[in-house]
Amino acid sequence: MTFKDQWRFVRNNMKRSKSRIFMTVLATAMGVAFLIVLASVGFGLHTTFIDDIISDRSVTKIQISGIEKENDIAPITDEEITELEKVDNMKAVTRQLSLRQTPQFNMEDYNGRVETVVTHFPSELKAGMELKEGDLPEDPYEVVVGPHFIENLYPEDLPADEEIYDEEGMLKEEFKYGESLIGQEIEMVVEQNVDGETKEHEISLIITGIVEPPARDWMQDRQVYISDDVLTEVESFTETSRGAIVDPNYPEAEQEVTGYNYVYGYANSLEEVQEISEYLTEENYLVYSAASELDHLNTFFTIAKAGLIFIGTIAIIIASIGIYNTMTMAVTERTSDIGIMKAIGAHPKKIKQIFLLESSYIGLLGAFIGTVVAFVISILLNIGLPLIIESAFEQELPEGFQFSSIPPSLIVIAAVICLIVTVLSGLKPAKRATQIDVLKAMRREI
Amino acid sequence: MIDVKDINHTFLLGKKQNETALPVLKNISFSVDKGEILAITGKSGSGKSTLLNIIGGFMKPTSGSVWIKDMNVTNLNEGEYADFRLDNIGFIFQNFQLIPSMTAFENIELPLVLKGLSEKERKKKTEQTLEQVGLSDYHHHYPSELSGGQQQRVSIARTLVIEPPIILADEPTGSLDSETEQEILDLITGLNRNIGITFLMITHDEEVARIASKQIHIHDGEIVKEEVSA
Ligand SMILES: Nc1ncnc2c1ncn2[C@@H]1O[C@H](COP(=O)(O)OP(=O)(O)OP(=O)(O)O)[C@@H](O)[C@H]1O
Ligand SMILES: [Mg+2]
Repeated sequence: MTFKDQWRFVRNNMKRSKSRIFMTVLATAMGVAFLIVLASVGFGLHTTFIDDIISDRSVTKIQISGIEKENDIAPITDEEITELEKVDNMKAVTRQLSLRQTPQFNMEDYNGRVETVVTHFPSELKAGMELKEGDLPEDPYEVVVGPHFIENLYPEDLPADEEIYDEEGMLKEEFKYGESLIGQEIEMVVEQNVDGETKEHEISLIITGIVEPPARDWMQDRQVYISDDVLTEVESFTETSRGAIVDPNYPEAEQEVTGYNYVYGYANSLEEVQEISEYLTEENYLVYSAASELDHLNTFFTIAKAGLIFIGTIAIIIASIGIYNTMTMAVTERTSDIGIMKAIGAHPKKIKQIFLLESSYIGLLGAFIGTVVAFVISILLNIGLPLIIESAFEQELPEGFQFSSIPPSLIVIAAVICLIVTVLSGLKPAKRATQIDVLKAMRREI
Repeated sequence: MIDVKDINHTFLLGKKQNETALPVLKNISFSVDKGEILAITGKSGSGKSTLLNIIGGFMKPTSGSVWIKDMNVTNLNEGEYADFRLDNIGFIFQNFQLIPSMTAFENIELPLVLKGLSEKERKKKTEQTLEQVGLSDYHHHYPSELSGGQQQRVSIARTLVIEPPIILADEPTGSLDSETEQEILDLITGLNRNIGITFLMITHDEEVARIASKQIHIHDGEIVKEEVSA
């Protein structure tokens, strides 16, 4: 018996009980749509978060926070930097250390205390440090500043009785330094206590560029980035490591500090980040990268998605009870036909196939309709939900936010689950059809 | 062609099938040669249908064996018997046993569909067979739109279409009037003579039994008389 003929049988049989089949398909479709929509939220949020991480410029960046040495964690020093720079595919290794005092910066009539970091500009250049304006320093006494640096620059004649910050806590426009910072001369004032007396030392610097703002809106960069040479001058004045201020209550200040505060490795691509991270981990480095963040995120969402699919599967299983019923009724109704077919010489296997074909057809049809419905719901969700959230909570969702997403893999998963469940639920009725006794079935007809 | 060897059959009746044993067939042995028409006669309840159902493979005898074309078919399982039937045995029933949702054409075509023949071949054979039983004009009629005689012709055509060497018939004319009965009997004798199909036919009607080349008379599950017609 050819597939085409079996299919013809199935179609004829189904025509005879249209409304019953329709209801069964509907129930199955609802189950499938429920599964897909539910899981699509997992998929949608996953993509949203991944996009968020990937859109961050620092995906190719690997944070190297230390190295394990003799059961202890040591900071990265120049020794390791040389080693790190030799690692395959390592584009650049940038390193920064923080000045251990917050110097005062004077510029024309403006001044303010700003965190200062010592940066190795040649490697920043290789890593592709992005500037919002200007260029990277070439001369040792040139510096770059963070994009929010001017927020810390206050005019000298600051009014005492007036609110100088706006609602968001930012310096009001009228108090800000108005001119371009590029090419400006700026004075860095470092201090040291000598015999209970505060001494000051001034270093004149030129601003050559402004760093690109951090990827996240809520992050601010107000720092001043200086070179090694400036640090050397600071240290020779303070006579402490990294310009720490001597304080009788704080004896650690006079201790020698080694190692960088921030070390970042740069790769060319996300895959290379993975490779390098793995290699560095083997070499006992403590590394963290967006790639590993992605890893965690992927693990979390994979579990979440599996859970959602499982819950959705329950809906399909409930729908399968309908299929079981429908198929049982179909077999009962056609008992005498089956008896006649068996009497003529229909192999029980063929009869089973016909009924399994019918239940899988119901399953496939349900899966198809369910998928279409799920797509419609998904689109409505993605349009409607942001509107509801924005109007109810007065909160804007980030751009590209996707609540629900239906990738082809989800459709395949849903269809396969649906097919398995429907075939399983059609199995028993189909088996019953093969066990119909010819004589009893034919006697019934009289 | 058909050898029935020492068949015994006992029905077990009642709950859990252990209350009463009802012996229906006792030591039945006979044989049918190729090209014969064998008529089994006997009173109602004598066990005729039971015997035919055992030969047709619809039930297993309590003991004994049936050999068809030198093959012990008693040992075949259900699926194997189905395949064997599809190739070798046609059935004609008293109440026709046509599928009501199918037209005459489709009913006749069914065995060919089961065999997996191509649509073209099926159409040709089915049309030929329809003509053979004189129903060329009734392709699209459903069983409910046909007379009893016509339905029995369709049912005969359905067995003929696979050209079986053997046809088993349980009171093929049992629900027809005498005129139609004669038509069907003519058809059967014609098929026997022209194509050489072997018939094994149950009847309780002496008139019908007369077309047979051999008669077996059963009484209370035993063969009491066996006679060869002139
Ligand atoms: N499935 C069954 N279970 C129990 N007893 C049965 C069964 N089928 C038939 N019998 C019994 O077996 C006996 C023979 O029945 P069978 O149908 O073979 O008779 P028959 O000769 O064909 O009669 P008729 O001419 O009325 O068709 C009867 O007494 C009947 O009650
Ligand atoms: Mg009978």
